[in-house]
Amino acid sequence: MNPAALAPLAVVVPFLGAALTFLLIRNPHAQRVASITVLSATLALEVWLLAQVFTGGTYAVRLGGWMPPFGIVMVVDQFSALMLVVSSVVSLAVLVYATGQGAADGDAAGPISIFHPAYLLLVAGVSNAFLAGDLFNLYVGFEILLTASYVLMTMGGTEPRIRAGITYVVVSVVSSMLFLIAIAMIYGATGTINMADLAVKLGQLDPGLQNLLHVMLLVAFGIKAAVFPLSFWLPDSYPTAPAPVTAVFAGLLTKVGVYAMVRTETLLFPGDALGPALLIVGLLTMLVGILGALAQTDIKRMLSFTLVSHIGYMVFGLALSSVAGLAAAIFYVAHHITVQTSLFMVTGLIERRGGTSNIERLGSLAKLSPVLSVLFFIPAMNLAGIPPFSGFLGKVGLLQAGVAQGSALAYVVVAGAVLASLLTLLAVARVWNRAFWRKRVEVVEPEPVLLDHGRFSAEAGVTLLPKTMVGSTAALVAVGLALTVFAGPLFGLSQHSATDMLDRGAYIHAVLGDHG
Amino acid sequence: MLIILVLHFVVALVAPVGFRWLGRNAFYVLALVPAGSFLWLLTQHDGAYSPGAIERNVQWIPQLGLSLDFRLDPLSWVMCLLVLGVGALVLAYCARYFKKRDAGLGAFGAELLAFAGVMFGLVTANNLLLMYIFWELTSVLSYLLIGYSRHRLAARRAALQALVVTTLGGLAMLVGLILLGVSAGSYRLTDVLAKGPELLGNGGGLMINTAIVLVLMGAVSKSALFPFHFWLPGAMAAPTPVSAYLHAAAMVKAGVYLVARLAPGYSASSYWQWCVLVLGLGTMLLGGWRALREHDLKLILAYGTVSQLGFLTVMVGLGTQAAALAGLALLLAHGLFKATLFLVVGIIDHQTGTRDIRLLSGVFSSAPVLGVVALVAAASMAGIPPLAGFVAKESALDALLGNAGNSAVGVMALTAVVLGSVLTFAYSARFIWGGFAPKSGISTTNFKPVPLTFLAAPLVLSVGSVVYGCWPGAVDGWLAPYAAQFGPQEESSHVALWHGLTPALGLSGAIIVAGIVLFVSRTAVGTAMDRLPQGPNADSVYRRVVAVLDDVAIAVTGRTQRGSLFFYLAVILSTSIVLAWLAILWGGQPLAKVYVIDPGSPVQLLAGAVTVAGGLAAARANKRFLAVLMVSVSGYGIALIFALQGAPDLALTQMLVETVVLIAFVLAMRTLPARLRERTAGTRRAIRIVIGVAFGITMVVVALTAMAGRTAVPISTAFAQLAYQDGGGANIVNVTLVDIRAWDTFGEISVLAIAATGVASLIFVRGRGDRLQPASTAPTGSVGRTEQSPGHQHRDIATLELSRRFATADSDAWLVGGRTLAPERRSIIFEVATRLVFHSMIIFSVYLLLAGHNSPGGGFAGGLMAGLALAIRYLAGGRFELGEAAPVRAGVMLGGGLGLAALTALFPLLLGGDVFQSAILHFTLPVFGDIKFATATFFDIGVYLVVVGLVLDILRSLGAEVDSQQEAS
Repeated sequence: MNPAALAPLAVVVPFLGAALTFLLIRNPHAQRVASITVLSATLALEVWLLAQVFTGGTYAVRLGGWMPPFGIVMVVDQFSALMLVVSSVVSLAVLVYATGQGAADGDAAGPISIFHPAYLLLVAGVSNAFLAGDLFNLYVGFEILLTASYVLMTMGGTEPRIRAGITYVVVSVVSSMLFLIAIAMIYGATGTINMADLAVKLGQLDPGLQNLLHVMLLVAFGIKAAVFPLSFWLPDSYPTAPAPVTAVFAGLLTKVGVYAMVRTETLLFPGDALGPALLIVGLLTMLVGILGALAQTDIKRMLSFTLVSHIGYMVFGLALSSVAGLAAAIFYVAHHITVQTSLFMVTGLIERRGGTSNIERLGSLAKLSPVLSVLFFIPAMNLAGIPPFSGFLGKVGLLQAGVAQGSALAYVVVAGAVLASLLTLLAVARVWNRAFWRKRVEVVEPEPVLLDHGRFSAEAGVTLLPKTMVGSTAALVAVGLALTVFAGPLFGLSQHSATDMLDRGAYIHAVLGDHG
Repeated sequence: MLIILVLHFVVALVAPVGFRWLGRNAFYVLALVPAGSFLWLLTQHDGAYSPGAIERNVQWIPQLGLSLDFRLDPLSWVMCLLVLGVGALVLAYCARYFKKRDAGLGAFGAELLAFAGVMFGLVTANNLLLMYIFWELTSVLSYLLIGYSRHRLAARRAALQALVVTTLGGLAMLVGLILLGVSAGSYRLTDVLAKGPELLGNGGGLMINTAIVLVLMGAVSKSALFPFHFWLPGAMAAPTPVSAYLHAAAMVKAGVYLVARLAPGYSASSYWQWCVLVLGLGTMLLGGWRALREHDLKLILAYGTVSQLGFLTVMVGLGTQAAALAGLALLLAHGLFKATLFLVVGIIDHQTGTRDIRLLSGVFSSAPVLGVVALVAAASMAGIPPLAGFVAKESALDALLGNAGNSAVGVMALTAVVLGSVLTFAYSARFIWGGFAPKSGISTTNFKPVPLTFLAAPLVLSVGSVVYGCWPGAVDGWLAPYAAQFGPQEESSHVALWHGLTPALGLSGAIIVAGIVLFVSRTAVGTAMDRLPQGPNADSVYRRVVAVLDDVAIAVTGRTQRGSLFFYLAVILSTSIVLAWLAILWGGQPLAKVYVIDPGSPVQLLAGAVTVAGGLAAARANKRFLAVLMVSVSGYGIALIFALQGAPDLALTQMLVETVVLIAFVLAMRTLPARLRERTAGTRRAIRIVIGVAFGITMVVVALTAMAGRTAVPISTAFAQLAYQDGGGANIVNVTLVDIRAWDTFGEISVLAIAATGVASLIFVRGRGDRLQPASTAPTGSVGRTEQSPGHQHRDIATLELSRRFATADSDAWLVGGRTLAPERRSIIFEVATRLVFHSMIIFSVYLLLAGHNSPGGGFAGGLMAGLALAIRYLAGGRFELGEAAPVRAGVMLGGGLGLAALTALFPLLLGGDVFQSAILHFTLPVFGDIKFATATFFDIGVYLVVVGLVLDILRSLGAEVDSQQEAS
């Protein structure tokens, strides 16, 4: 059986879940059960898909049975299956976290009823983007996830959120517009939008025109992936959203942009025509991003900047256009989704325990909650690329690929990557020094909740660290550690996938059959 | 070997539990782990010294060349001896060093034990990357251990500083290791060493020399050599057992170990020689010099360690057989005496509460055993026979004398080491004098008796110094196989207590004499030192670098992260403009000549002009309403273009969308000020105009270029046939939407649904408030009543009263909700008209939905039509009328529509088809006759429901809810 035949379910199932949670809008408890069930089922399906392609293979499904390039196809290969699984693991963890927050605070203060349908549609959009074998359908996937993200970002409608939301929405709409223009231009030049068909037909165009279409797509995706200089919007918009929302945005949304860039560079525009330019962009993204992180006192903002900075690593791997570089970038994407999301989840817990995420006003956390400190320390070190965690392994892969490429520019980027890594360590260790080690009595004007004892805050009337929230965070941190332990098979998968993607033959054949 | 490693980590993980049960005595249990491993190690001696050594290999990540390769060879074995032996003793010592009620011991014990395991891994790893993993882990554990005294700002700073400095070196080393691995074609340490001579042939390439310098940078930073030496004295903020273990015996030796490990392959490089000699010797002198100026016992030892590490690095890095032997002999001796001395300082600190030599006096008489232990260790450090330090230094001097004959560099090295040894003697004496001697003018320090359990660890270590010194034969046997890699062993170069009357012995004697002179004249020397100019302090250099970094960070972030949407958009649009032009100019593509003016349809030009004019006017409008209206003009212009191009479906849909959007805008704008805020003026405005115009022009040029470059026939030409034959519909657009590309539509309706909820969620901030209220609950004439206020003109009031008199209808004849409106808001004509057209519109919408497959229409257009019908009801009869008009809740419509669409997608899958596969059913109905029904219509019904739900959601939030909020305020 063609495993891809069931791939659309990765979108349809959360979609049905969204429909269901719309109908259950007056029953928060049933909504919660429905969402978690639906996402678990999706995850199970995606794990099955990944198992099908684990040792290789690219499969396509024709939606509605229409022949490509006329109808829409979905394509499952190792890269998309891996992304699906990682993104669903992360979204499930965040969903449990968010419902735990709701349950702990009483539903009145919890996520409002539209959280569930919006969240499930976000997941559906992300899955759709990972599976799309059609450029316009990729756009639709982006639209679904972006529109859902607009709703999630402005949930609660407080002034800072609306203000940040405006930046976010306007920039996203502009990027969608650029994407749509790019699709129109590509269709204008080739007369098709099926990606496998494009892989064949774009190559027949004049190289100059290819470059033009190429940069237009890259600009559109670069905004979503937050690549310098298209990244400035991100730290201004993510941190103000509710904690679970920030966590899932930070982990997933930028990676959808990175995913699209990977497909652009490998399938649509192979070769390294823009390789050197991308290397420079990657370098600047790393450095400007991490300098931003150093200048922050708020953990959420700091993490948003490290997010930008580490996108630079993925661009670096991609820009090398080698199997080693691409494999390391794929590994790094999987790692970064997990670790960045866990860190934002932990920050949500820190905010609950300390009343703020500003390190100037936090202290004693190591003593107040050893569990919290372990949950912060491990992913923080992981992010900083401290061995033996997955962040280190990904970094080593990238450095090796950079050295193997051997150009002077690659060496410069290697040096920049190492510097960014050191500064990431400095940034997270500063948080640790202040928020975890410093005594809380040294804090000027601490939030009252920081001075509370025990698990329950009488003042705020809430459980400080609800078990569901801590449990889901711990689970995701554990997933991050599993990426380290099982790095061998995962790197094997990444390498195989990188080889396939750079070769393109399997993809084109899966979609177009022998005609391609 | 792996078991030893795992054991350390597992016990470390459960250690906190142990501390809850046993309190500080749990340290004894922890100490059993390295102690047991130490015994195991002794049994492995023969295996390690056999030609193949002991190897254990486990695959991990072959793609990176990273596997769990361990190898216990003579060098590793000796290092393990030190690491495990001192580790066990230090852990046991902790059980008495800490007080019973000290907090955080569980984590501390776990970290210390884990550290022992990590060090074991570091010295046995046989893979460059694996070794690096352990290397960095020692840095992190050191950070955590130094931070044990977390409440002191100085301790936190020192911990961070040590982490940053060692990681800086570490990362340089990582790059170096990767260069080395890539050059050698393998990351296996044994392979890399074997490749050394080949790689260094002809002076080595740039790559290999860079690799060597980078790797040494790691070693230098770890072993606290100049210019990275400053972190070590700072790290003295750690509890003393940590200093003894990490910062004297084990971690700082990692750098020396690395040098020793790589020396057999790479010491021949001239870069290597210069780095090792200059930095090592410089550090030896600098550290010794600084140690003479300190008053804190721990800092004296810290600078002493810095000095000795320099010495060790030189010896193991020289690359001759004699030097290598001497280097390792020194390394062992140093581990023994320096750990002893730190532990002694810990006891003094613990019993007296100070480590300042200006406050301590007469400690020796209070604690003679402690004094003897300290004296033995210090004497060993000073190089007095018959102790370990003397024996090792003797062979070092011998090796250097042998080397000095060869070159001027050798002479320099010898001179520096002799000078450094004089300093070492002097600060050793100063340590003993400062810590134990009675001093005039200072009262004898109170000293609590030291329990034997506390004293045990330093006692054992100092006994070790004596045994080593008196019977060095065993040590010689352990070290010789390693040294033999550098060449055959000469007769003279053995580690031995008595070599006969050699020049080295003479030098030793001279060093002792000079040292005594330096110590005795300490007051004069101190004054002289103070008079010397102070060089820049490395610690403050570090601080300044970090401060500059922070400034740069703030400057860069301030430039880029302005919080201004205008700036972000300007950057994004400019980037796309510039990149597009670069590509266009680079490519030199011709422009398409078509499409400039279509001669077949001159009206198109008009439609285009209308569209552009609408856009320009919207940008220039100074009132919100005008701007929105002008945007609509653009929209209708586009609808016209669609119509002219033969796409009536699109034109119809576009018209309906424009209308609904206009209503939504008007409803939304009621709460906003009518005027747009002051338009930006001056340069900003100019920039906006330039970017806007440039972007427009660029896109036109891009479009023309793309069209001109077309090479293939577009796929759309096949759609007509596909739609009619396979899709069963005459309306290509509709068949495309609900069948050929149904999946896109499927996605887009979820966008609609979520957009609707998004609007609602902003208006109903908490909870959807989903149910609309029926008109029967509202009192007559309550909605939208104009309040009379003193500010009103007389004429307004008259108008109001007039309208109230005429607009009072006593029955609900036309609209159910009509009576709830205030009389001045009612329009009977509007109500009547609504009553007349509403049902027609609903029926028409259903027609559009069902006819869509063959004629213009479809679920989307039909839904919009139904939505408009609802909008009219709302506008005519107010919000309660909307409640009467809407059959079900908006959420139900959205959810139901999405659900129906999803089920349509899934159903064929159950029948064994593909998702969204459609079928065409033929059947005959009375009246209607032959019906050709495509199952895709079900999907279209889902679309219809979602669109109606969307409009309803907008009406009830932007309309009804805003109404009631305004009335409430």
